[in-house]
Amino acid sequence: MKPAPTLSSAFLQPPGQTLPAALLALRQQRGTALADLPLPTRKTENWKYSSKYLKLTDEIAATLPVSGTPAAAAPGYCAVLRNGVLVSDASNLPAVAGIRVRRFSELSDDEAATLAQRLDGTLDRQAVQLAGLNSARFEDGLLITLEPEAVLDQPLFIIHETGAESSGSAFPRIYVDAARHSKATIVEEYTSSGTAVAMTNTVTEFTLGDGASITSVRLAMEEQNVQHLGATGVRLLDNARFESHCVGFGGPLRRHDLQVRLEGPGAECKLNGVVVTQGKQHYDNHTTIEHIAPHCNSEETYRNIAAGESHAVFNGRIHIHQDAQKSNADMNNKNLLLNNGAEIDTKPELEIYADDVKCAHGATIGQLDETSLFYLVSRGIGRRDANVLLTMAFINELVDQIPVEAVKETAQARLSDFFDQTFQEA
Amino acid sequence: MLSIKNLHASVEGKEILKGINLEIKAGEVHAIMGPNGSGKSTLSQVLAGNEAFEVTEGEVTLNGDNLLELETEERAREGIFLAFQYPVEIPGVSNLQFLRTAVNAMRKHKGEPEMNAAEFMKLAREVSKQVDLDPAFLKRGVNEGFSGGEKKRNEIMQALLLQPKLAILDETDSGLDIDALKVVSDGVNALRSADRAILMVTHYQRLLNHIVPDHVHVLAGGKIIKSGGRELALELEERGYGWLGIKDEVAAQ
Ligand SMILES: Nc1ncnc2c1ncn2[C@@H]1O[C@H](COP(=O)(O)OP(=O)(O)OP(=O)(O)O)[C@@H](O)[C@H]1O
Ligand SMILES: [Mg+2]
Repeated sequence: MKPAPTLSSAFLQPPGQTLPAALLALRQQRGTALADLPLPTRKTENWKYSSKYLKLTDEIAATLPVSGTPAAAAPGYCAVLRNGVLVSDASNLPAVAGIRVRRFSELSDDEAATLAQRLDGTLDRQAVQLAGLNSARFEDGLLITLEPEAVLDQPLFIIHETGAESSGSAFPRIYVDAARHSKATIVEEYTSSGTAVAMTNTVTEFTLGDGASITSVRLAMEEQNVQHLGATGVRLLDNARFESHCVGFGGPLRRHDLQVRLEGPGAECKLNGVVVTQGKQHYDNHTTIEHIAPHCNSEETYRNIAAGESHAVFNGRIHIHQDAQKSNADMNNKNLLLNNGAEIDTKPELEIYADDVKCAHGATIGQLDETSLFYLVSRGIGRRDANVLLTMAFINELVDQIPVEAVKETAQARLSDFFDQTFQEA
Repeated sequence: MLSIKNLHASVEGKEILKGINLEIKAGEVHAIMGPNGSGKSTLSQVLAGNEAFEVTEGEVTLNGDNLLELETEERAREGIFLAFQYPVEIPGVSNLQFLRTAVNAMRKHKGEPEMNAAEFMKLAREVSKQVDLDPAFLKRGVNEGFSGGEKKRNEIMQALLLQPKLAILDETDSGLDIDALKVVSDGVNALRSADRAILMVTHYQRLLNHIVPDHVHVLAGGKIIKSGGRELALELEERGYGWLGIKDEVAAQ
């Protein structure tokens, strides 16, 4: 038997050296650990359906250069990152008491040492292995700190632009440290420019102190020349609350691991996700909720719509630890197949070690309802519009819940493009 | 206006309609009565274009044009409207969005400008009052969680908005309380005009006190076995279907 292929050494070449020493050391250590990492295959449990989409060719091993003007902009507070590095001129960082948004490269040695100890702390590195490549490669990063009680008065938009004018990868890295009772809404939009083969390998982490509240909105909408390998890790202490809204558009490879650790009693998370794929696109969401402390709530609602010959994957793991009595976990995944050639794989994974818990889960895969379709067209509505109405209906509830109006509009506009392409005029 | 000749239709290989003949002229109101399972809804659905039913024989013309050749949405745009016996619940599509899309599809077909959200809202509010539905229903999902009577009023509201040439009402009177029956009948009567026709399927002659039909037909076993005037409905109410030589399911209920 020939040995499984490992990550090419081209991916482990040393990146730029502009960071404080502690972060350089961390990066180096992570790189060493990845040296012999076997690449996922069909037999790798958490890459079973997606390994065939992953194309880690040497072509994309180089770090994409920071130069070039970002096309993206956002209203209000925004941090524009081009290929993982903040572009100050294009950004409008909040000037709010108790809130700081800084580049890793501008941290003092002491601050960098503290951060180096905490990076990856929200993630199960074993489970996100490959996305963990980011920890060996980030050029710079953004550290967002909220002091106790600090409240960000408007959402902060983080625009991640992968500039694929040449081939390579971007490694954006975000760390949000929300101290007790602080509050913020953070929007991350992943976009791309250029047409060369490229990858976004991104990691965002949130730590929430007692009673902190973070709302995260994540839009993955890079173009079709860009693979996306991403992970988000969240750690919540007592009574903290994390709400996330992910909207994903298919691509050559789209992978997002979302891991939430409910570590303090009374913590809660609400995770919403919408994915649409068409053509030969792919999207894979792997979510994990760790119920570690008692009296925590989790609520998860994901919807996939797959058209053409596309492939959507949802894997939802809920792990209720032995001490997590009175846990309340509710996971729901519904899937809509628009064509026979499309594929959706969904798998709830429940591991429950506490006895006094409430845990509900449901997963369905269906097609558009003929009776509903007939009802709509019998009122003179064209087939195409009827299809769009019914397909939208499948996700409307989740799109409506996106708490930032500007993002909701962006998502809706993109979704309507998706429907235009999916349902051609008859 | 509508001419049905020797119409046969089946579902899943089973013949339900076995040679229907019916002529409906503009301005007329026809009532169809008949036992459960006799094919009344099948006839309604076939006319509206439900592809679950296969037409195996016969012809249907609307103002001289072959209706059976048209897609469901084209039939609607040509003026066919079916108020469903069991209106469909569509969560996630708001009633308002549904109604506006339908009205604009019709307007587009007629070469009229589409209505914007504000214009439509004004119209929809007026019409919802006409059928005594709280405008709050406009915001809810299509028929989602509506009571039986609310669903029926929503069907009539759609008819009023779409102004069909031929309105087919499949048991729109079933499950209505006395006040709602009045509201629905008033709605239907508001639709009556010299250039429109109405085909009502009903089990109850009480509806016919409010909407007086020109013709009454008895559909049994997939055929129209008797036709008459308004007095036929009264006779059926009194005597059931037994005297016509068929199984008397309705009277037995
Ligand atoms: N989709 C279907 N599949 C199989 N059988 C069907 C289907 N739709 C209707 N039928 C059958 O066709 C026959 C006629 O049904 P239809 O609904 O037209 O009756 P109806 O006259 O409207 O009865 P009711 O008074 O109860 O509404 C019934 O025997 C019914 O079971
Ligand atoms: Mg019926």
